[in-house]
Amino acid sequence: MRKKRVTQAALIGICLLISYFFLLPFLFMFFTSFKDMAESIGSSRLVPSVWSFSNYIDLLNDLTNVQIVRWLMNTLLTTILGVMLVVVVDTLAAYSLARLNLPGTGIILVAIVWIMSIPGIVTVFPAFYIAKNLNLVDSFIPLIFPYGANVLGVYMIHNFLRNFPKELEEAAFVDGANLMTILVKVVVPVIRPVLITLAFITFLNIYNDFLWPSLVISTNEMKTVTVGISSLVLGSNFTNPGMMMAATLVAVVPTLVLFVFLNRYIVQGVTNTGIK
Amino acid sequence: MRVKPWKAFLFFLPFLIVFLLFWALPFITGVVGSMYNYRLGTNRNDFVGLQNYETILFSESRHHDNFFLGLGNTLIFVGISVIPLVIICLLLALLLDRVKDPWKKVFRTLFFMSYAVSVTAVSAIFIWMLNGPGSYINVTLSRLGIISAESPIGWLSEQPFAWLSILGATIWWTVGFNMMLFVNALNEIDTQLYEASSIDGASYPKQFRYIIMPSIIHTFWFVLLNTTIASFNLYGQSYLITRGGPGQSTSSLSLQIYRTIMENKNLSVGMAMAILMGFVVMLFCMAQYLLTQRKKDYMEVRK
Repeated sequence: MRKKRVTQAALIGICLLISYFFLLPFLFMFFTSFKDMAESIGSSRLVPSVWSFSNYIDLLNDLTNVQIVRWLMNTLLTTILGVMLVVVVDTLAAYSLARLNLPGTGIILVAIVWIMSIPGIVTVFPAFYIAKNLNLVDSFIPLIFPYGANVLGVYMIHNFLRNFPKELEEAAFVDGANLMTILVKVVVPVIRPVLITLAFITFLNIYNDFLWPSLVISTNEMKTVTVGISSLVLGSNFTNPGMMMAATLVAVVPTLVLFVFLNRYIVQGVTNTGIK
Repeated sequence: MRVKPWKAFLFFLPFLIVFLLFWALPFITGVVGSMYNYRLGTNRNDFVGLQNYETILFSESRHHDNFFLGLGNTLIFVGISVIPLVIICLLLALLLDRVKDPWKKVFRTLFFMSYAVSVTAVSAIFIWMLNGPGSYINVTLSRLGIISAESPIGWLSEQPFAWLSILGATIWWTVGFNMMLFVNALNEIDTQLYEASSIDGASYPKQFRYIIMPSIIHTFWFVLLNTTIASFNLYGQSYLITRGGPGQSTSSLSLQIYRTIMENKNLSVGMAMAILMGFVVMLFCMAQYLLTQRKKDYMEVRK
């Protein structure tokens, strides 16, 4: 018994050591964001010698070109609308495939697997070319709607529904309920765990997407936070690390908070819905 | 349920519209466009057949050089990153598997947390931790006596350190997800197997070989495939952390395609490069799939 306790303590010790490496970048970002410009450039101490809020005050006052609040609003708007689009459209499609005997279901499912294995780089530049020719660059349309073409979601929901008994739905159908009512009242409560998983994965994907929004957005006001931070990283005249870390911190807080509460859903979804 | 086909189709229609507009149309535009001579900002559109592919693959041109430079760099990254990424997430999962709740939950979330961060945030943080002679990492290493203060390491400007920096950032950023897959797979192993085998005097390496590995082998192949594809798609880290440098030594294939299209305006050539890259990724998938099938048969027979 005592030996087991000692092993546990040793294992926790190792975990703590590893945690330090996982936390260090976050701590570095946090502490550096409270350093004033001189200290953030010159000092290599982790913790600031003088705690300064100037970076955050400057950020909120838009003193620089860093419109972090505006970027955050853009990102939240596009992400939330994008997630809603994906969840609604994919649920309807998966329901049709799994329950309504849509002609060609077998072919569609095979096609979905093939499409999932084609990397995004094949379609992202042509999509940009189309958006450019239609004068949609620098608008919300390309920041929201293209994310709706999400085959992964259809696949996940379909797999979950396929393994779930449909007696309840049949009964409702015999009782004369229409298909939409059955979907909303009977099916959606059943597939709720998958929908949460899908919504959360999609949220992270859209919020953190980099290549696509960097192609279709060029003005400062329309940037998403991810693109905004990248312009700070790539901008040659931007030399205040403290300010950059403050902006980065503001950018990652929403996903991080959501993540701490919802992270178990990501993996549940991946294991239960047959993605692997 | 007996439903008329058109009703079923009505439910499928919204997805179909979005999919056709935002996936199928770009895909076809890409395939067709790779056979023209489009340039961004001009109106050229002459059909050139497979000439772009020929230029990229066989002719002595800068497109040929750019493509194979990117492909080579990407293969280097796949070569140095896949094994550490898979082994580290497996080791972390094995470690967590032996830690008891509530600590297990705490560490699981801590190791997985960086997954929620965007590649630009990862890059912003790592650049400032690594950049310059007086960077936090350089000073810390010299204080620990690992490097001398007079010769700091150019983490972003010298090889092989530039690759190490990208690898380190990638490990920190992505290892948590695959670790969670392994954690779940390990949870499904019957604890009685461990107990029975330790009564029989089996050591941990033996348990790993005969109990753990056979149980998680499917997850293992999945993680290996996933990691290979992710490493092959390397883009943000090398664009933002090292900007493809020093020289062009960390410029990945995705980044070369980006530059061909966005900086040199050669849209059609870039589309052709992207399609070729798609083929390479699919070859990887197929090769690994076939390999896995053979291994599976082998495992079945042995059982």
